[in-house]
Amino acid sequence: MVLVSVFTRAGTTVLFTVGPFDATLEGVDFAGQTLVRLFAISTAIGLFGLTTEPRSFVLDLERRGLSPRFAFVAMATLEAVPAMVERASVIGSAQRARGLDTEGSVRARLRGVLPLVGPVIFSSLTEVEERSLALEVRAFGRPGRRELLWRIPDSGLQQAVRAVLMLALLGAIVARIAGVFPALP
Amino acid sequence: MTAVTGPTGAGPIIRVEGLAHVYPGGTRALDGVDLAIRRGERVAIVGQNGSGKSTLVRHLNGLLRPTEGRVLVDGKDAAGQRVAYLAATVGLAFQDPDRQIFAGKVRAEVAFGPRNLGLTGAALDAAIDGALAATGLDDDADANPYDLGYSRRKLLALASILAMGTPVVVLDEPTTGQDARGVERIHRIVEELAGDGRTVMAISHDMRFVAESFERVVVMRDGRVILDGPPPDVFAEASWPALESTFLEPPLPARIGARLGLGSTPTDGALLDALAAAATG
Amino acid sequence: MLELRGATYRYAGYATEVLHEVDLRLDDGEIVGLVGPNEAGKSTLCLVASGLAPASVGGSLKGTLTLDGEPAAGLSTHQLAERVVVGFQNPNTQRSGVAATVFEEIALGPMNLGLPVAETVERTREAIARLRLEHLVLRDPQRLSGGQAQLVGIASLLAMRPRHVILDEPTAQLDPAGTRLVGAALRELAGTGTSLLIAEHKTDLLDGLCSRIVVIDGGRIVLDGPTAEVFDDPRLASLGVEPPARARLTRAFAERGLDPSAIAVALAGTS
Repeated sequence: MVLVSVFTRAGTTVLFTVGPFDATLEGVDFAGQTLVRLFAISTAIGLFGLTTEPRSFVLDLERRGLSPRFAFVAMATLEAVPAMVERASVIGSAQRARGLDTEGSVRARLRGVLPLVGPVIFSSLTEVEERSLALEVRAFGRPGRRELLWRIPDSGLQQAVRAVLMLALLGAIVARIAGVFPALP
Repeated sequence: MTAVTGPTGAGPIIRVEGLAHVYPGGTRALDGVDLAIRRGERVAIVGQNGSGKSTLVRHLNGLLRPTEGRVLVDGKDAAGQRVAYLAATVGLAFQDPDRQIFAGKVRAEVAFGPRNLGLTGAALDAAIDGALAATGLDDDADANPYDLGYSRRKLLALASILAMGTPVVVLDEPTTGQDARGVERIHRIVEELAGDGRTVMAISHDMRFVAESFERVVVMRDGRVILDGPPPDVFAEASWPALESTFLEPPLPARIGARLGLGSTPTDGALLDALAAAATG
Repeated sequence: MLELRGATYRYAGYATEVLHEVDLRLDDGEIVGLVGPNEAGKSTLCLVASGLAPASVGGSLKGTLTLDGEPAAGLSTHQLAERVVVGFQNPNTQRSGVAATVFEEIALGPMNLGLPVAETVERTREAIARLRLEHLVLRDPQRLSGGQAQLVGIASLLAMRPRHVILDEPTAQLDPAGTRLVGAALRELAGTGTSLLIAEHKTDLLDGLCSRIVVIDGGRIVLDGPTAEVFDDPRLASLGVEPPARARLTRAFAERGLDPSAIAVALAGTS
């Protein structure tokens, strides 16, 4: 994409030519900016993923006022994947014990899809009602806030860094509006 | 029930030698198990949750592979054989029926196993009918499995293994959730299987079922076999300390027989016979 | 006290009733056993006695449920949860699916009640101690054996410190030691004034635990009385209920004119 921008973006200042393509200064400028933006976005997402434990994130959101229902849905989604994996492995064992060939030809494996996927879906569906009852028994859905068991450690240094970053963000926005940065093409 | 022709060689149908199994997390679930199961034998495996019973039976059809030792099924090392192939010899019914039922109809569910083993046409129909009759599900053949209650779904899972006609049938906790009639039905199935010359192994916590339906009891503790013998030996007073070491209690008739000095009487019948003999003798 | 009067219940979308004119009363500190053949209505009665049917399940209920004198009809599910809890037989469905550890799983109920953290933790610790689950507290609740999951499920209910507890086959997945453990925990709980209804096939467990036994068949209560009386009733076997070993052998001894005192001695010697 960077290369495409360098060569295809219309511009007046031609730097050099490769075959039918001209590399323009405007193209290089645009490509550089795009690259920096992409880098910023992916770094931010990557940093978030690497430094934030998803459960802690959801719990902290609830502590900051997210409804317990939303927190539940988010949390259940996080836990659903390992639960599915566990369930699928038991089902796989049960069906192989009934002669299902999961190690054989492609055709044999295709035939095995329903027996492997079916129980995952059926048992999830039949368990849904009882599971929701079991949650209601445990006072899920009670209005009002809960006092959470977890307190996510938040050191003074972390708070200070957060404050600095917040200020920097504000500064950047103000600077952008005030036109301190050159306008983007 | 019609038994599909199975291996008829000499020697034990299953031989387990020095079997150890270590799970990826490092748990040593089996720690040196030796067992030889005769053809047509009825063997109960008992022990606490986590003593290695389920891990052991999952080695019999290759679902788990030994960390150490080996498993011979009908004289051949299971190591080189696929589960789908071993399943023709060893049918294993899992504990939770909801982890295997997928078909929209009871009959189709039962057909799955025997069809995988290559049964077709009249032989397939006969296998299905036999299994449905044995489990008392004949009237539910066209029902949706998920319209059945848990106890009947459990019988359906059992039927779907019986229909495979394997020479060895292994049942994991077959009596869970069954009422008195259901337990009686499973008792009859075990007897019929043995009558057909098929080998039956069952994991169970129900000591009465174990004493009434099986001719051999294997007691496991911490991945090892600590007792192995016929119910009168395993439940004899001399074995009580070993049973207690793994929190098992002999059935009440065994305790009464011991109290009355009648020897080992693990079943109601044995106790009453011993009492009658003591009265006349 | 939990009291069900003239309960006739029909699930939504079904034409026929599954419970007919059921009267059931649980006094404080009392443990009542509920037995009957499969599909006799035990699980439905558990749902109705807990108020979840119809409050959450829907369907139509004739008759009344009162909890400590208060009619349950007007209570929402979370208000019911503060008074009566019910545990189901399948441990897979007892798991919340949101807890990373067994401790958090057990703590979920008290936390949902809006209790202060210290109280939640105390109740959780107590429930863990009652069922000897100390060795499991940091385990992932998704990766427990059926028996362990069942114990965790029961502990999760006890942590709510309910006045009334209803359990549908609480020991189905348990080994004999686990079954005895649950029995002891429930007896302890009843000692604190909690009333319990336990649906079970294991009549040997109920024999030593319950003061009263209720037998249900075809959605109707067919026997209700003191434990020894009901378990010695000759009609029991024809109802598809396995009498406890004690009752079975006492009868067999009596039929043969033998002295049954050895049975009591043998029972006393081991339990």
